[in-house]
Formats: sequence, structure tokens, C-alpha cells
Amino acid sequence: MTQSELARKGKITEEMEKVALKENVTPEFVREGVAAGRIVIPKNIHRDRENICGIGGGLDVKVNGLMGTSSDRNDMIMEAKKLLMLEECGADAFMDLSTGDDIDAMRKQSLSISNIAAGCVPVYQASVEAIAKNGMMVNMDPKDLLETIEKQCAEGMDFMAVHSALNWSVLKALQKAGRVTDVVSRGGSFLTAWMYHNQRENPLYEYFDDVLKILKAHDTVLSIGDAIRPGSNADSLDAAQVQGLIVAGELAKRALEADVQVMIEGPGHVPLNQIATTMQLQKQLCHNVPYYILGFLATDVAPGYDNITGAIGGAFAGMYGADFLCYLTPAEHLGLPNEADVVEGVRTTRIAADCVNALHRRGAYEKSREVAKGRVNLDQKAQIENSLDPEYLTGRFAAENLRHTSGTGHKHTLMDVAADYYGIGEAVS
Amino acid sequence: MTILESAKAGLITPEMELCAQDEQVSPEFIRSGVADGTIVVLKSSRPNIRPVAVGKGMTTKVSASVGMYEEYDTPEGELAKIDEALRAGTDTIMDLSVRGDIRGLREQVLSRSKIPVGTLPIYQTLYDTEQKYGSSFDMTAQDMLDTIEEQAAEGVSFLAMHPATTQAVVKTSKEEGRLDPLVSWGGSHLIGWMVLHHEENPLFIHFDEIIEICRRHDVVLSFADGMRPGCIDDSLDSAQVQELVIIGTLVRRARERGVQVMVKGPGHVPLDEIETTVKLMKKLCHNVPYFVFGCLPTDRAEGCDHITSAIGGAIASYYGADFLCYVTPAEHIGMPDAADVYEGVMASRIAAHAGDVAKGHPGALAWDREMSVARREMNWKKQFEMSIDPERAERMWRERSTSFTSECTMCGKYCAIKIVERYLRPDASKDKGTVVTEEQSA
Repeated sequence: MTQSELARKGKITEEMEKVALKENVTPEFVREGVAAGRIVIPKNIHRDRENICGIGGGLDVKVNGLMGTSSDRNDMIMEAKKLLMLEECGADAFMDLSTGDDIDAMRKQSLSISNIAAGCVPVYQASVEAIAKNGMMVNMDPKDLLETIEKQCAEGMDFMAVHSALNWSVLKALQKAGRVTDVVSRGGSFLTAWMYHNQRENPLYEYFDDVLKILKAHDTVLSIGDAIRPGSNADSLDAAQVQGLIVAGELAKRALEADVQVMIEGPGHVPLNQIATTMQLQKQLCHNVPYYILGFLATDVAPGYDNITGAIGGAFAGMYGADFLCYLTPAEHLGLPNEADVVEGVRTTRIAADCVNALHRRGAYEKSREVAKGRVNLDQKAQIENSLDPEYLTGRFAAENLRHTSGTGHKHTLMDVAADYYGIGEAVS
Repeated sequence: MTILESAKAGLITPEMELCAQDEQVSPEFIRSGVADGTIVVLKSSRPNIRPVAVGKGMTTKVSASVGMYEEYDTPEGELAKIDEALRAGTDTIMDLSVRGDIRGLREQVLSRSKIPVGTLPIYQTLYDTEQKYGSSFDMTAQDMLDTIEEQAAEGVSFLAMHPATTQAVVKTSKEEGRLDPLVSWGGSHLIGWMVLHHEENPLFIHFDEIIEICRRHDVVLSFADGMRPGCIDDSLDSAQVQELVIIGTLVRRARERGVQVMVKGPGHVPLDEIETTVKLMKKLCHNVPYFVFGCLPTDRAEGCDHITSAIGGAIASYYGADFLCYVTPAEHIGMPDAADVYEGVMASRIAAHAGDVAKGHPGALAWDREMSVARREMNWKKQFEMSIDPERAERMWRERSTSFTSECTMCGKYCAIKIVERYLRPDASKDKGTVVTEEQSA
């Protein structure tokens, strides 16, 4: 049975217990959230792992990292390293987006070496294999696509991006909208091409009930892929995006009714002044299921720094209810990220998430207070222990401390007088 | 006449004209903003310094702080940092030296700089009086006023000071148990002086004389906040708000006497208090420009606080902050080196621009659009040109590409833009060998 079915029957599962413990909420809070669809727990029934996370309303914001081979950079060892690194840096989940040579082997490797929630995008593999089998990606057989989904679920995928919320109503809206950047989702582009070429409805929309059946059998969380996400600020909240969200809402309802755990993938490029609206629309149209966003990128003009533009939009979106942040690395818009980019991406996105998590005035906020106390007391150890990345901060302090080995005696300053007045012992000089 | 008096009299000065050109607005727009206080023009008596406008309707500006702080800091080292700040595109520089040849460095900065320079005069006063009396404990009000006069006369464009950190505010911060009361370096020393001498803040007592100096040299008075919150837990506490109320009254007094004014702000602010922080300041301080140091919405990212502050700075800018003081990766760790300075300016510029996009600034929107059109057209040269950091964008693209078979290794031959172009923009894809065609031949 899925977490959702169990929750609705009033049963608190082991996974719900683990989530509650981690988040410092009651197991009943988690159960209620799962039953209502506000919370998902990505945990495939075939894959055992220690590190369980819950995603959704009332819980801390979670961070996802991406890895995987591409047709240009097909290095499984490098991708394994990236996966280990992103887990070590504190990502709560990852997605293997491989489109390189041996996607099956890559996925098996990723599932076996990681201990966090694993996700993937089945249409990538189905499209790449259609080229090999049928000559062209647009010759993909819908049956093969469903079989790919089945295979990936059976192997243990905890969540899966399925681009079902793309149909002719969305493409018609897209054509009328006159976008600056048309379709920037890779899965979305495969399916758009397939639909135009075959003049048929998107198979993931048409056979959505079959998709649900498969996901339910393995309790893989359905992440409704955002095929039509805006790729530029100018396109944010245009008719195509909103139509896509309406379709996603319809599908989310069907998933909830079928006891399939579901979340919605979101943009993309969104200016700060449209974030509140984007969040409210998603929550309203999609029945308050968790929102998993890629960004938001608050501006289009900073390639090389999109970890930062994503952190700006991600934090602000988190304040308005985004639940799950997909990381952006500095290499976004420029190329496939390397190991250093992955580290930078997770670190930056975790800062964005922490800004949001502090708002609960629970664990993250308490740790912020401890850091501040550490600063007042010149206690580097306290600052390190309560920081987001203790190992990194240890290194930075060590490098800084080396510059101050001269040991010249401290001269009494006016700041010390002020410190005495406040009774905080030593000055923050 | 000061520029504010000119503006109030309906006169458009050459500085306003220059700012109007840079901002692509009418000179009258600048004049009326200066007159009502929503815009300040940072200008200098030095001919090499081009004025910069800060405030409502202007692009959000970025300031980089440098200065000799450690014993081993040198004027050359700081000048190198300024070069990096300029290369990264800062709008202003603050020289915050607290030791060494403070005057010599400032003269070099002022004579070379093309952009406005700001200072915190009390830093020099503390150092000078230590040399003069053997200890800054004996610093007098006159010493403080002398430094303000000296720096104003030299062509510094904006002077930061803490006249609103009064005894009452200090008392409140102690009684209410502020977690981190000593955050502002200048403010903390000033508090020490007030405690030691049992006297009111001399900058508050002598505020009319300060106004007179700023007026005579037509320098912008930048109110620094001694009670800037140093952790998210202290944000919007009574000491901060009490000081802000006093700043508001001083803003009014300065403006009535023809002095341009802006107000410096936090600091560490949780995400859900940024809007209130900005709106409260704008209301209490009569809508003058807000110059924020951050805001930092978490305390847990030491070593990465340029990112923390980009998050808070962008959001503050969206809510109306006008000017971002950069934060570097070295914040809370030590003093920044040249590389930290570069990263700090870039992160702040991204935040400032994200704020401008959200404010609907026409130039900012056009820049984003042009970049996105270049993306759709896969025009890499144009994308680099339109990047906030063209050199870095191009370098990263090259470094992450092994073969260049498909221009971008992110998606390789499965490029979303190329795949759909054939169907959605058949005319545009005719000229290019699209990926879909390659697949067909495969």
C-alpha cells in the first residue's frame, strides 16, 4: 500500500515517524498531511534507505540536486562523484537525468550508491531509446514509454517527473501566447515534437490512468513535470503556463483520488513581483499539493551565477509556500555542471532553504540564534557547529586564523568599554 | 546653493543632467526626486568623479567597501581591491580605513576614482585621537566635527555617521536584552565613548553643526544605524525601531536646511520582516533613499554571506530599498581579499538587478528580454555580451564543453529549444542544421 492509502486509513507508518522525528512535529501531523496530499514522502517500496524525508506544507523546505550523463559528456564515474558530493553537501534528494549511452547502468549505479530520495525523468530514456530503436525520437511508441516508467519504478525510483500536464489545450495557448522562449523543458520539448509530428495527444496525458496504476504499485511519487515552464521573465505567468497549471491541477486531483502521492514541478524564470501570485495559483489550482520548483530565477542576465539568481527566487518562493527547491548550479545555461558546480549549487540552494526554514521559528531559527551567540562570544566552534556547512566553515576559519599568528597583545578600546557595559565580556573586533 | 536647494527652486543642475543621461530619464524627473527627497545625487567637488543618482525610479545601486583594517593592510592592497570592485561594476566605493595612512589612501582614491566615494568619519577620528592623545578614550566632540569637515572638504560624496544612537536607544538595547548589541563598528565605539564619559552622543548634540558642514560642502548625509540588527533574532527589536524614529526626525531637520539625506539599514532580517523593515523606514524617514547592508535572512551561512545578502538584498530592493552595500564571502570571517571583493560586488549587482526587474524598471526589463531572445536564437556571442559578467559566462561555457559538437553540454544534442523550433518556428529553423534533422539521418 502507498503512504497515501495508509495515511487515509489512519495508519502512521515508519516513514512518517522518521519524518516527524527529523522535523520536530508529531507523527499525526505528518499522517494528516500525507492523507490530505499536502505532504509527500518519496519512498519506493523496493528501495531501502535510512535517510527519509518528507516534502510539503509545514515541513522544512528540501533541496534536490541533479546529475547524470549527457550526449556530450558521457562519464559515469564523474556522475557518481557528483552524486556522492551532492549527498555529502546535504541535498535531501537527487534526480538522475542521464541521456548518455547506458542509461540503465547509470541508474542502477545511482540507486545503489545513494542514501537519499532518488528521482528521474522517464521520457528522457524513452526518447533516447526511440532514436536507437525507431530512428527518430518522434517515432517513440507510447507503449515503450509506459514500459520505461514501469521499469524505472520497479528498480526503486522514489519520485518521477512525468510530463502529463501537456496537451493540445496547452500547446494552443502556447502558440497564441507569443513567447520569448518557447519550450525550455527537455521532456516538454520531446513531447511537443512528438505531438506535432504524430498529430496525436500526449501519451502521458492520454494514458494517465495507466501511469497512475504503475506509480501506485511501487509507491513512486508522481512529480508532474512542468513541460511548459517559462524560460524567461518575460514569459512568466503567460497563458501557456497558466493553462499548463490548470491541466496539472486536474491531474493532481486524479492522482490524489487514486492514492498516488503527487507533487507539481514549477518554474523556472519568475520575477520577484510575480512570485506570490505564482505560488498562490499553484496551491489553489493544484489542491495544495507540494510545489517543487526549479529556481525561481529572479533575472535572466546572470549566467555563471544562476545558483544565486535561483537562491533569490527560491527563498522568496519558499516564504510563499514552495516546498522543494531543485538546485541551480553556476553552470546553468552554459553547460553540464562539474563537481565544483554541484557543490556550489547544493550549498547555495541550502542557504535559500534555510532562510525559509528559519521562518518556522523552530530548529533552523534556533541554530541561527546559536551562531549569533557564537559571534558575540567569539566562539568559532559554536558558529561552525550550527552553520549549514560545518566542514566548509572550518576551512575558512582556519585560513583566516593563520593570518593572525603574530599574537600582538590586545589593546583596550572603546568597543571593550561598550562590551563591558552590555556584560558580553569580549568585544567583537 | 546646495543641489537640494536648487532642486527646490526648480533649477536643473549639470549633475542632474548627467544622472538623467545615465538613468535614461528626464532631467526634470531627477530634479523633482531630489526636491522631494526620494532621490539623492552623490557628487563630488573632484572633476574626475561622475555623479550617481540613488533613489526612487533609479536603478538600484551597489557600493563596495574597502579600507585598511589589519596591521598588514596597505594602501596598494586596498587600491587593488578598488580596481576589482570597479571591474565588477560597483557604483560607489566606501573607504572605511581605520588605521595606517588613512589620509594618503583617501587622497589617492579620490583623485583616481571615476565614481563617488563615501566614508565613515569616526573611523579616522578614532585613529587620529589615539595618535594624538595616546588613546581614543579622550576623543572630543570637536575632534569628530573636525574630521567630518576635513573629509567633506576633500570631495567625499557621502558621509556616514551615527547621530541617532542616543543614550535612550543604548539603554533600551541593554534592558530589552538584545542578543548582539555591538554590530556596527563605528556605532560600538561611539557607545563605548558615551558609556565612558556618561554623555549623550556628541553627533546628536552637535547635529546642527554637522548639518552646517554638510550644507557648506553639499555632501550627502548618510545615517548609519548603530542598532543595526546583527542576527535575525534582533531584527525589528525596540532599539532598532527607536533609533529609526530618531533618524526620521534628523532626516527632516537636515532636509529642511538643504542637505541631501539617505539612511543606512540592516543587516540581519528574516525573510518575513524585510517588507516591514523597508516600509517602516520609508514612512518614518520621509521616503528618502534606503541604503541596506544585506539584508541577510539567515545567520547560518558564514563564508557564503554574499549569497545570503543577495537573497535579502534583492527582496529589499523589490520592496523599495535603493542602494545595496555589498557583503563579501569574507563577512563574519575576516577582511575580504580582492577576489572576495569581486564576488561581493557581482552578487550585489545581481540582487540589485533582480530588484529592478521586479520593480518594473524599463531598462532592466529590456535587458532581461534581450538576453532571453539571444537564448532562443542560440546566439552565444550575444548571450555573453548581455551577461552581467561576460568574461565569466564565456569562460564557464568553454570550460564545461569538451567537444562543442552541440554548443552546450547541458543537454547536448537533445536541446529543447532546437527540438521544438522546427514545429513552432519553422522559418527560424530553416537556416540551422537542427538536431531533429540529425536524428532523422541517424
